[in-house]
Amino acid sequence: MKDIDKLQKRSRKLRNLTERVGSTSLAIAGLIGLLFLGVLIWQIAEPTFIKGEQGEITAVSEWIPESDYRFEWDFPNIDENGNLTGDPVVIRFEWDDENGSHSHDVQINVIQTRQIKTDIYIDSNGVDQTEIDVGRKTKFYAYSALSVPVTVEQISGPVPNADDTGYPSVNTFVISGDVHVLWDDENEQVFQLLELLAWATLLILIIVFTWPQENVISLLSKIESYKKLVWGVFYILAALTLSLSFEFSDKADILELENYLPTLDAALGALCWAMCGTILYRLLEGIERLKNLKREIHETSRLKHSISNRDGILMWSRMLLFTSTIFIPLLIDIPFLTERYQDIFVPYASGIRAAFYGTIWVMLIAMVVSIPISVGAAIYLEEYAKPNRITKLIQALVTNLAGVPSIVFGMFGLAIFVKQGGIGWGLGPSVLAAGLTMGVMAMPIIVLGGQEALRSVPRSVRESAYGIGCTRWQVTKDHVLPSAMPGIMTGTILAMSRIMGEAAPLVVVGATAMILFDPEPLAALNGGNLNFTVIPIQIYFWTAEPDHAWHSMAAAASITLICLLIAMNSIAIVLRQHFRKRLKS
Amino acid sequence: MSFLQRLTKDKAGTILFVMSLSVILITLGIIQTLLFETITFFSDIAEHRGWFSFDWDFSGILSASGFACLLLVVALFLDRESKAVKGTLLSSIPLYVWNPHHGIVKFVFAVAVLQLLFNDSFLLGISILFCVIVWRSIGKIQMKRILGGNIEISNIWRNILSLFILITVFDAITMNYSGALGEFFFQNQWTPTGACEDRRSLCETMSFGVNSLLLTTLQVAFGALVIAVPLGVGCAIYLSEYAPPRLAAVVKPTLEILAGIPSVVYGFFAFIYIGPLVVEFGEYAFANGWIDQPPNVLNPINGAIVVGIMILPLIASMSEDALRAVPNELREGSLALGATKIETTMKVMIQASLSGIIASIILALSRAVGETMAVTLAVGTVAVYTSNMFVPAQTMTAYIAQRVGGDLPFGEIGYLTIFAVGLYLFAITLCLNLLGNKVLSAYREAY
Repeated sequence: MKDIDKLQKRSRKLRNLTERVGSTSLAIAGLIGLLFLGVLIWQIAEPTFIKGEQGEITAVSEWIPESDYRFEWDFPNIDENGNLTGDPVVIRFEWDDENGSHSHDVQINVIQTRQIKTDIYIDSNGVDQTEIDVGRKTKFYAYSALSVPVTVEQISGPVPNADDTGYPSVNTFVISGDVHVLWDDENEQVFQLLELLAWATLLILIIVFTWPQENVISLLSKIESYKKLVWGVFYILAALTLSLSFEFSDKADILELENYLPTLDAALGALCWAMCGTILYRLLEGIERLKNLKREIHETSRLKHSISNRDGILMWSRMLLFTSTIFIPLLIDIPFLTERYQDIFVPYASGIRAAFYGTIWVMLIAMVVSIPISVGAAIYLEEYAKPNRITKLIQALVTNLAGVPSIVFGMFGLAIFVKQGGIGWGLGPSVLAAGLTMGVMAMPIIVLGGQEALRSVPRSVRESAYGIGCTRWQVTKDHVLPSAMPGIMTGTILAMSRIMGEAAPLVVVGATAMILFDPEPLAALNGGNLNFTVIPIQIYFWTAEPDHAWHSMAAAASITLICLLIAMNSIAIVLRQHFRKRLKS
Repeated sequence: MSFLQRLTKDKAGTILFVMSLSVILITLGIIQTLLFETITFFSDIAEHRGWFSFDWDFSGILSASGFACLLLVVALFLDRESKAVKGTLLSSIPLYVWNPHHGIVKFVFAVAVLQLLFNDSFLLGISILFCVIVWRSIGKIQMKRILGGNIEISNIWRNILSLFILITVFDAITMNYSGALGEFFFQNQWTPTGACEDRRSLCETMSFGVNSLLLTTLQVAFGALVIAVPLGVGCAIYLSEYAPPRLAAVVKPTLEILAGIPSVVYGFFAFIYIGPLVVEFGEYAFANGWIDQPPNVLNPINGAIVVGIMILPLIASMSEDALRAVPNELREGSLALGATKIETTMKVMIQASLSGIIASIILALSRAVGETMAVTLAVGTVAVYTSNMFVPAQTMTAYIAQRVGGDLPFGEIGYLTIFAVGLYLFAITLCLNLLGNKVLSAYREAY
């Protein structure tokens, strides 16, 4: 008997041991996945942000006497044929004397022939030339007749090789950002008063709308009969905010389209005003309805019920408030993102402006192309289609298209959109072709997401709508779509964030790495410059460069891209949470 | 009501139907473009070299393929015998041949799997493995004959063995394939840019054997599976069975973010971080003489690791869904019978959700085969397949990305090659996707 007890005890011990070992090893397997993510983020962030690998760029020029300067170029910005490529070299001379401060720019064209030089003479009137030709690997001098020292700064173009002494330093390029709240460096306000007011009003109204208080409601009920007027006033304020942002400084610019586009914060401010008007209108409508029902106005729970579409409006206004919090009182200034194009020779002077705008245009075109068609297809498949062969075929194709490698979509785009002749549309390697290709790629993902969202709408919604005699389109439009909309939007945002990071199709379509201008979205139609690039492509080409300095730039661009993606995904998560909460209630 | 009348009556439905037809249009467009350019490609080569031809070479019968064929024929015969109504032949062999001690069985299995890695001939290795599997299935059937039980007759093994017999016979008796199709599918040399006078046209130095690209692709994809399957399935099991809710709430979004990171960023990660790590191992291996060439930063192991990390979230989330779909009664029943938690997980939950897990693995394999940017940055651009995984190679997708990166005139032979490679890739991933989705839908119906 004792032996059996002993045996049982031993086996129990063994089983406990295996239990513990097994569960621990499983936990470790799960956590290794987390470790990978940590290592990945650390590896990207460490060289760029933590170690602070910043480029100190210095000119080769030596400081001869205090008044004379010598310059020497090793990397001319010319190609084999002697043509200028990239930005020209521009040097800025600045000095302060008794007549005030002077600043003069001189453009230097480096030409193929050696030993040709033009010297610059500086006197109290300024610099004698604005543009000079200098041969390759030739020194030239700047002679100063001034009594004060002149600072020399290169403001554009490739920076020459640095020597051992390495001074005077030309510029320091770092990936730095500046965030100003309300006031910038010169103590000037970064907002227009009306915009800030709109933002504040929206904030107050959202608070009133979410937690209606008795005294506030009784105050509002006094202006209830003027609700159309209030609504109008807010819209006039919106128009005023928009119109104040236009500035016509130059008459020659009147024909330029850009002058007629409002700035981002003005547009947001106008939207805030419009949203304020709508919220207040809804609120007053709700109060009026309560009065008609002969109810007390302080029954806030009834008020909430009586405000129709409350959730949707609140969601939108909260998102608007969040967005305008970033853009109206804040001035975000990251030169890497918003100012610099790629520099040909100097990694640290490069930026992703062209790629950033390229990404935005490609995404916009892809959205315009793909969202209406794929949401329509999802509605057809879920609401209209009978279970016949065509439906089965379409469903199978959608499922399998979602798994087709992205590069195959790129080849589809290359043959259909880019190529001229045959079935090709002949758009060339342009933003438009890239956007269409990306739109086609996003379609199956959006259809699948949309179907899932439509499927999760309860049957009772449809049946009760049919029961009161709605047609199928009315049921879909008025009852099913509104409840499925957040789900569809989540799917759409996720699809967009997926195609935002895709580089493979665009490599095939023909994105280029070196762009020194903003890409034009409709260049394929009106014959502009076709070249474009996007952030993933920029990362790809920078990673393929041999110099390690470019890898730092690739890391910075990667972090930018990941931040953009996380921002988009978090919008999707917020929408999903909102949707879930509404389903529960 | 006629079809046309119905269309005009329900306008919204018609418009939506037309929208959904765009999916068919896109699929047809993809297939049409790929097929059209591929046919042009093959007919261009066929003008110079003919469509398909091969030379007989019977001396190959005595090689490894011939031996593999013999093994497979024996296995097929035994399989057929075992399913005969009265297995008199097999019964004459003593039972301990079919069902020895389970330690011996495990040992033989391990040897059969391990020899795949070191066997020079892949066909011989796989036929040895098949023989072992057939031996086990016969063992099970013989056991049932004695102890009683339902003997299921399935033709799966017969079909697989017949297919492999055909392949080995074909491999044993033919040696030289040529012509457009023979070259593309059976040769190993991929030099689409020959040293020709005219870059646009074909010349003799060009060679289009896609196998070197395909084998590297499979090397990377299966290497990725080796990394991702244990980790991903382990992660899924941990999340669905073990993890406390608070930890799961952290791990799941992390996996989602891991899945959302663009592939080019992973490529960058592989290029600057994993590559140098792999090179250190490679140098150690080179110093010990295990590999014949010094390692490079760009190599298939690098690609396999990074693709493995990329497909890990896919496997983890799909396997977790599969595990969660298993009814709770199974879990509770097992626990009530006295099994520990790990026994329940390993012997009940995984068995019950096996087809769902397998579907996730198949779909992940398809993703790994079609992965482009990470592989382009990690694996390199040398289109030569070697069994040494530490030197640069090139996958199919990487070839396409590298080839179109330069200036590529339409209609040139280089332009056409990417469509031929792309169609091959499309066919492979489509088959994998169809298979995976079929397994998945069968699993969904089961629960």
